[in-house]
Amino acid sequence: MKKTVLGELEELVLLVVAASADKVYGLPVLEQLQINTGRDFTISAVHTTLYRLEEKGFLSSSVGGATAERGGRRKRLFALTAAGGRALQEVQQMRNSLWEAIPEGKLKLLGL
Amino acid sequence: MNTETEPRPPRWADRLLERFVAPHLLEYLQGDLHEAFDRHVVQFGLARARRKYIREVIHCLTPFFYKRKSITPFPKPALSDMIQSYLTSARRNLVKHRLYSGINICGLALGIACALLIGLWVQNELSYDSYLPDAKDIYFVRLNSTNPNTGEIGTGGTTPGPLQEAIAKDVPEVAAVTKVNPWMEYLIKVGEKAAKEKGYYASDDFFNVFNLPVINGNPRKALAQTNQIVITRAIAEKYFSNGDALGKTLQLNNEKFYVVGATIENLPSNSTLKFGWVVNWKEQEQPWQKTWGNSGFLTYLRLKPNTTAAQADRNLKGIYPRYTGEKSYTQPILQPITDVYLYDDYKMGKPVGGKIEYVRVFSIVAAFILLIACINFMNLATARASTRAKEVGVRKAVGAFRSALIGQFLAESMLTTLLAGTMAIGLVWLVLPLFNDVFGKHLTLHFTDPALWIGVASLLLFTGFLAGSYPALILSALKPMQVLKGQLQSSGRPVFFRQALVVVQFSLSVFLIVGMLTVGKQMDYLRTKHLGLDRDNVVYIPLEGNVTQAEKMESFRQQIMRQPSVISATVTSMLPVNIQGTSGDLKWPGKDPALQTTVTAMSVGPDFIKTMNMQLVDGRDFRIGSAADSSSYLINEATAELMGEKDPVGKEITFWMGKGRVIGLIKNFHMNSLHQAITPLVLTYLPVNSSYMLVKTRAGQTENALAQLQKVSREFNPNYPFNYHFLDEEYENLHRSEQQVNTLVNYFGFLAILISCLGLFGLAAFTAQQRSKEIGVRKVLGASVSNIVGLLSSDFLKPVLIALVLASPLAWWALSSWLGTFAYSTNLTWWIFAVSGVAATSIALFTVSFQAVKAAMQNPVTSLRSE
Repeated sequence: MKKTVLGELEELVLLVVAASADKVYGLPVLEQLQINTGRDFTISAVHTTLYRLEEKGFLSSSVGGATAERGGRRKRLFALTAAGGRALQEVQQMRNSLWEAIPEGKLKLLGL
Repeated sequence: MNTETEPRPPRWADRLLERFVAPHLLEYLQGDLHEAFDRHVVQFGLARARRKYIREVIHCLTPFFYKRKSITPFPKPALSDMIQSYLTSARRNLVKHRLYSGINICGLALGIACALLIGLWVQNELSYDSYLPDAKDIYFVRLNSTNPNTGEIGTGGTTPGPLQEAIAKDVPEVAAVTKVNPWMEYLIKVGEKAAKEKGYYASDDFFNVFNLPVINGNPRKALAQTNQIVITRAIAEKYFSNGDALGKTLQLNNEKFYVVGATIENLPSNSTLKFGWVVNWKEQEQPWQKTWGNSGFLTYLRLKPNTTAAQADRNLKGIYPRYTGEKSYTQPILQPITDVYLYDDYKMGKPVGGKIEYVRVFSIVAAFILLIACINFMNLATARASTRAKEVGVRKAVGAFRSALIGQFLAESMLTTLLAGTMAIGLVWLVLPLFNDVFGKHLTLHFTDPALWIGVASLLLFTGFLAGSYPALILSALKPMQVLKGQLQSSGRPVFFRQALVVVQFSLSVFLIVGMLTVGKQMDYLRTKHLGLDRDNVVYIPLEGNVTQAEKMESFRQQIMRQPSVISATVTSMLPVNIQGTSGDLKWPGKDPALQTTVTAMSVGPDFIKTMNMQLVDGRDFRIGSAADSSSYLINEATAELMGEKDPVGKEITFWMGKGRVIGLIKNFHMNSLHQAITPLVLTYLPVNSSYMLVKTRAGQTENALAQLQKVSREFNPNYPFNYHFLDEEYENLHRSEQQVNTLVNYFGFLAILISCLGLFGLAAFTAQQRSKEIGVRKVLGASVSNIVGLLSSDFLKPVLIALVLASPLAWWALSSWLGTFAYSTNLTWWIFAVSGVAATSIALFTVSFQAVKAAMQNPVTSLRSE
């Protein structure tokens, strides 16, 4: 099986879902993203990404309750799967090893 | 709940979303959008929230949200997927059966290429003179003369000089009328440059009738001056640097200088007007051109807008009685200028044909060839049907509709025709220069011309549809159960149909072979027919410059006759193989005053009979310097018959030179194309009126003779380049269109047979392959090779023989009516049909037996072991 590559937005969305205590649906994910990154996202982009992640097996989804403000429409709630957790770990490990590869004192030299 | 105050997102955006987004995604997406909208209303206010909502919705218009989830577990392929599948199976089929596809495509390409070539040719033929501005208002004037004795009407294209003035005065419907003396080819000289160019002497209104595109100057004003000349772009560019000719002078015929008053665009190749220069009519006018009795010019007129030829005809009728002052049997008639080229054959005063017949013949030939190619395609496709029956069965079993299968087979045949069409265009592009060369045409493929593409596309669609329709309908009707069980019967209707198609195909081929042979035979007849004069080894030189004076002309002639390679020489006013002048002036004592006679007439010099090697029934030739000969006449047998004289020599007649005697009776000879019958002829002795020197050279000494003639010509006429032609060439020119038809029919007949054979070859190969098991069994049981070859061949010979029987009477009928257009023609003999029959049969037999022998020689083990 080919290795699944995570795009930047995919990684962010996956992290947001992982961070939340319960199952989440599109809108809170969007809000969390905006709060944490300070960037603007569209609902369509977030939804597309969520469905893609589900397709890849990193998220699972179920249908949740409707509220009045949604005009009685139900929510699709997403939760992290084991595969999704593993994918996040892999990304983190990869990042860490890259971080470790930076020579000591180099960032300091740059005044950081 | 108060719905009126509750903020809502824009309704249209919601509708758009509901329409666009796939149902299984819509609910959750729309829910989130609405929730976000509610929060935005609180945060930013209604207006901004609505704007944001619209932006969000627009962002949702992506393929991801559009794609519907399939409801059934079975895939329902989109049309594009099926087309891909069709293309794949078409391509695989083509590649798998390379031989058949090759035959199919090549045959069709050849057929389409032929049709295209002929189409281009026909289009060119039909386009003659349509380039003229307002061509529909321009008419050519012909003369109908009724023979009061027989009631026959003869139609001539040349008119007398005064007719033009009469029409201008008496026919109010006419806007402009002009007369043209078109027979001129004069030397044009500018500085050192000099060459002969064809030109017209035309009366003032020429450019009012023909509103030809002008480059500079005013041709109308220029033609009104007797010292100005109008030239075409080609002449201007040839003689003047940069083509800048306006106001410059040039010398015409080594005589008068003319100022270039205007230059006009070159005439296109599809013009019946052919000239490089135009000069005022008065510059050449002679007294006889002002008489009504002598025709020799072309008259053209332009009608006023919104008048019809029929209205003008009424006024034209009165002209002859009014001006010739007698009960006249001559009447001018009008012919649209666009018809002049195609309809020059008149019978009983009505146009009956001309080159249009060739246009029709070739359109038919093109249709034949295309049909033959289509039949090939259908034959091979139906034959191959059985091998594809399984495919049809499988497709039907997995749910293909009949319409889809019809579509598939039609699309396949379209694909094949498209390939063939591409090849055909390439082929035409390659062959066109050769074709133009042979037929003296300037046809081009205009790749930017939408008409070409529309024409080709419709041809391809038509062919593809015709060729694909039968297999499409038959194959798609197969019952999947039977097919998959292997119960497809390979006999019965399709075989009968194929044989019927082969019959049609070979009928057409036989028709074309018979046509080829007959046209060839008639051409041969024309070429070798003894005309009554000897056109071989006759060189003619136009008389110009010094030698147009009587004495010089005679000493020039004498000098030529002194050359060792020359037998004899004479001078004439027209070429004896194409005498165009007619006259109504002939009278004789005892002639019925009511009798109107029109005779062909020409003036000649001494030794005419001798040079032309004609046969004198009685009397003698014109003699040099014989004073008495200046009022003597030579007549032919047809004239003697007209006069009712058995023994006319010595009888008195009155003609151009007044009262005189007949000194010789010439055996009838052909003085025109063989389409025309021999008419009465009177020859007058008037050397000074001559335009040509005709020289009979000794056989085999043409080279010598030309060298000697050139020397003599230089001596007498140093200002003119030596210029010569052969009389037999002139005769060939008269029959050029027949010659071209001959060549065309030969080529296309050959192609038709080739295409037919390609089809037969493919069919035979296929049958041999289909029957390989049968052949194997037969061989095992003791059949010989010749048995098997006979068996396979006879299947194909039957349709060919039926075709012979069908095509022969049709061909006989068509060709005898073609031969009927000649006044003198060869006859259709039985051997033509015999030869065509044997040829068609043997070609077919050869094609088929090649495959049959191959099949019969095969070791039966190879065909039988597979089972």
